[in-house]
Amino acid sequence: MSRPAFRFISPSLQWGMIGLVAIALSLWQAGLFQQTVVNLNGFPLLWRFVAASVHPDLSYDLLATTLQASLVTLAYAVCGTFLSVTIGAIAGVFCSEVWWLEVLRAKRLRYFGFHSVRAILAFPRAIHELIWGLFFLNIWGLDPLVAVAAIAIPFGAITAKVFSEILDETPRQPLLTLINSGVAPITAFFYTLLPQAFLNLLSYSFYRFECSIRSAAVLGIIGAGGLGYEILLSLQSLRYEQLWTFFYALLILNGGVDIASATLRHQLGCASRIDLNSHRPTKRNIPNRRIFSLFPIAIAGVALSFWYIQPDLSKIGSPRSQQLLNQIVQTSLPPNFTGMAELIPLSVETVAMSVLAIAIAASGGLLLAFPAAQIFLPGGLLNRRGKANLFPPVLLAVARIMLLLCRAIPAPIWSLVVLYILFPGILPGAIGLGLHNLGILGRLFAEVTENLEQPPLKALSAGGTPDSLVFLYGVLPATMPRFLAYTLYRWEVCMRETVIVGLVGAGGLGRLLTEQLSSFDYQSLIVTLGAFLALTFLVDWISGRVRRSLRSS
Amino acid sequence: MKRLLVSGFLSLSLLPLAACSNNSSPNSSANSAAQTKTFVTGAIPDQDAEKLQRLYGKLSQYLEAELKIPVSYKPVTDYTAAVTAFKVGDLDMVWFGGLTGVQARLQVPGAEALAQRDIDAKFHSVFIANKNSGIGPINDVKELTALKGHSFTFGSESSTSGRLMPQYFLQQAGVKLEDFKGQSGFSQNHDATIALVTAGTYDAGVLNEQVWQKRLQEGKIDRSKIDVIWRSPEYYDYHWVINPSVKQRFGDDFPQKVQAALMKLDPNVPEQKEILELFGATKFVPTKNENYARIEQVGREIGKIK
Amino acid sequence: MAGRGSAPTPIARMSSDPIISVDRATLQFGQFTALTDISLHIAAGERVALVGSSGAGKSTLIRLLNGTLEPTRGEIQAFGQKLHQLKPKQHRQIQRQIGTIYQQLHLVDSLRVIHNVNAGQLGRWSFLKALISLIVPLDVATATQALAQVGIPEKLYDRTDRLSGGQQQRVAIARVLVQNPMVILADEPISSLDRELSREVMEILCNCQSSQTLIVSLHDVDIALRYCDRMIGLRRGRILFDAPTTAVSSEMIADLYRL
Repeated sequence: MSRPAFRFISPSLQWGMIGLVAIALSLWQAGLFQQTVVNLNGFPLLWRFVAASVHPDLSYDLLATTLQASLVTLAYAVCGTFLSVTIGAIAGVFCSEVWWLEVLRAKRLRYFGFHSVRAILAFPRAIHELIWGLFFLNIWGLDPLVAVAAIAIPFGAITAKVFSEILDETPRQPLLTLINSGVAPITAFFYTLLPQAFLNLLSYSFYRFECSIRSAAVLGIIGAGGLGYEILLSLQSLRYEQLWTFFYALLILNGGVDIASATLRHQLGCASRIDLNSHRPTKRNIPNRRIFSLFPIAIAGVALSFWYIQPDLSKIGSPRSQQLLNQIVQTSLPPNFTGMAELIPLSVETVAMSVLAIAIAASGGLLLAFPAAQIFLPGGLLNRRGKANLFPPVLLAVARIMLLLCRAIPAPIWSLVVLYILFPGILPGAIGLGLHNLGILGRLFAEVTENLEQPPLKALSAGGTPDSLVFLYGVLPATMPRFLAYTLYRWEVCMRETVIVGLVGAGGLGRLLTEQLSSFDYQSLIVTLGAFLALTFLVDWISGRVRRSLRSS
Repeated sequence: MKRLLVSGFLSLSLLPLAACSNNSSPNSSANSAAQTKTFVTGAIPDQDAEKLQRLYGKLSQYLEAELKIPVSYKPVTDYTAAVTAFKVGDLDMVWFGGLTGVQARLQVPGAEALAQRDIDAKFHSVFIANKNSGIGPINDVKELTALKGHSFTFGSESSTSGRLMPQYFLQQAGVKLEDFKGQSGFSQNHDATIALVTAGTYDAGVLNEQVWQKRLQEGKIDRSKIDVIWRSPEYYDYHWVINPSVKQRFGDDFPQKVQAALMKLDPNVPEQKEILELFGATKFVPTKNENYARIEQVGREIGKIK
Repeated sequence: MAGRGSAPTPIARMSSDPIISVDRATLQFGQFTALTDISLHIAAGERVALVGSSGAGKSTLIRLLNGTLEPTRGEIQAFGQKLHQLKPKQHRQIQRQIGTIYQQLHLVDSLRVIHNVNAGQLGRWSFLKALISLIVPLDVATATQALAQVGIPEKLYDRTDRLSGGQQQRVAIARVLVQNPMVILADEPISSLDRELSREVMEILCNCQSSQTLIVSLHDVDIALRYCDRMIGLRRGRILFDAPTTAVSSEMIADLYRL
């Protein structure tokens, strides 16, 4: 990379070209230039679907159902977040470097303990919530517990990873100072590191809540109830007017949670959700005192949610569940490797699907992010001389609503809609995933744009640079590296999510998984899951490498 | 301020124990109590969910009156979930298709096929096509090759009449899934298949004959747009399967009681006539596990049973 | 100070036995040798200044003395115990008797001043007491008195990151006062302070009990001459001289800062 002859090819350009090639190969893999993918005959049905958006079913009965389903989804999200943050807080400490290195003062053992905890946590993280849900369904049956655990376990592992990163990035000297003055390490840990990291941890927990809401909706698809369940039922019976009522409810729920979470995080002074590539503690305001009066409300909310969904906790350790677990383990062993040959093309399809999905998400997100950020508003960054004009605020509202709609609707539901006009295959899966992630990425991009460091841009602007050039020379260069980092991170998520669009008939390993699930062929299923895990780790590794190389350049 | 923050954090981390134990212990016992007392029925979601809800709601009322115990209906989202819920014990008796019934009985030793409709011993699938597709009527299995090059949708992956037997007949005609235009779809239920073929999303599809007949009677089908192109040979399909665990809870003769109650449904009693009509049957007849040996064999051939 | 009289001094020796002694210690970071062949003995109650240009190894020596760093060769004894052969618990016992004021202070910015001051006595507290104190500050009297001693008693409940640099420096000193160790190590405690403040800080440090030993690294030779009774000159990781301040000549100082 740094050889003189190639110096003009920066790592980002190099990776960019590799990315374009990957997208082209993925399109080819999707069969875009070889076979029919578009089903023109499906357009009338798609039109019926779109047309129904302006007259949703507002009958009293349906609204009552909608309210109840929304509450169920919300309660799942609250319980799931609570448990995942609890798991994350405990496990996060044990997989942080600072804990092993400074608190335990482990020397030789440290590598073993540290790496084994991290390795153990990588597995629950790599498996999608929906697969967890299907697993728990097999041992606990149709119980709200399934949905809560399906959110809590993978999200707990993700939270643990992020919490450990936050702890490791928190300045360590105060901790060392106390330890070196003879304070017991664990006391010093609680006294110095936790208070320092607390606001970041809290801010991330709010972000997790936003994710849990989306996840709770997806889990409806395996029968956990709530809005996802109702949406799937109306979609299968082609009742589009009802469908849109549920869509709007999901929109309001997601929008409400996003706004509440953003407001709280803003008050805490940690405006950015996951500071991905600036590895420095967030500069923060003094938190507002009122924030802390929210704790009792949060506690009440958690208690109320558990009461509302009534998970049967006695099932966790019951002999019956134990017996069913044994049964699952027995029927899954020994793994059946006879279908291995089939796995290779399907794995390629799966990766291609994730690449296409992230390409759609990133390009769409990029288009909508700038209009959705406040920089074009009168008085905003790029419009400070601007007159009050109706166009920018309207554009902003439209862009934000589009982003919200995209991310509120679960990816499998998008795929089912796209399946009206496309034949089953990886393309509808990729578009479904792409649309959903577009909403998430666009929002993250917009946030990055709004949190830009202002002084350099103001300096440009003060020098008489036109707004368009401030955008080109100031905004774009400052935001691009972070956009890229978010995109790569989201690519990892897309890879995991390919499995859920597979469940509704999009291609790849997810499709095979559905077929194996419905045939109760657990011996082959476990091999497919293994392949899926390997792919997930591969994509994580590539993404991590690219991110590091972009950061160091 | 900091103090509040930390105390909040601490109390938050102590909460799971307190919150869980307070809330769940009373209702978990209530749940298990309800479970032992209520007879829970279910069904594979082969049709429009709302229709199922109405149908099984009425049936539950009838069984409750006949058996003198609380009976409830629990909906599920897909065929696989119905089998899983039956295996786990959430559902005591389920209206399964031929394939799902076999899958369920293979996973729950002692489960019995209890009853089926008069039509289920001689069940048929119908292949339907959109008129614009130009696919003409088919007279013999071998002529299914006419479907090659057209787009095609099945019902659910685990449906007997909407997937298993049709795929078997297609196989006999030498039609492979790759021969269709694009990939073959899975609409998930019979009503969706009708809708998708009517709309032209797929040129052709296949579904359960009884649902087709019923929708015809109801006038829900636009015959200017779609029609039947082939009626399959007969095979055994839908049936009630009961979980052996009910014997412990309701007595050893409970399966017989339920069977008798189902047999007793009388088309001359208006209330019961409605239930039979919703099922598309004139009466229920006894059945036994052995009737589904062929389905099991086909299931193994197609790869849906391992 | 409250608690001072009653503070446990299990290893106190008022004799002239060395309280800290370094025997031929060499410290290497990879290829780089930070300290070479250092030997010194410090008796209880001494006021020792470490002087030398930046990079001479003053901070490293201080971190060697408080047990944070381990010598590559040679050994360190504190209170008659070989520091690096101790079990963790005994090691902590010894470290509690050595208080350090770091150049970068290392305070927990997001906590209030009282917690940072109380951090000095965490070594004597149980884990539970420490946790409770984070919620409801305990032992307020001790902390208040220490803060009064450094001249900012009114800042007790302020957030630490809202204080000025000089005030934070005092909080760091107060933390060590509360720890009440036998030995105080101070790494450039006055480097970022103006003349007036520097004097005040040195007064506070030197006005500690006569039994307390003070080892302070300084870049200002005049201050060292005024407040300390012994001076150790470090140059490129070696001891250039080790003499009573009265015996330090201007040639020796010039030699120390020679390029």
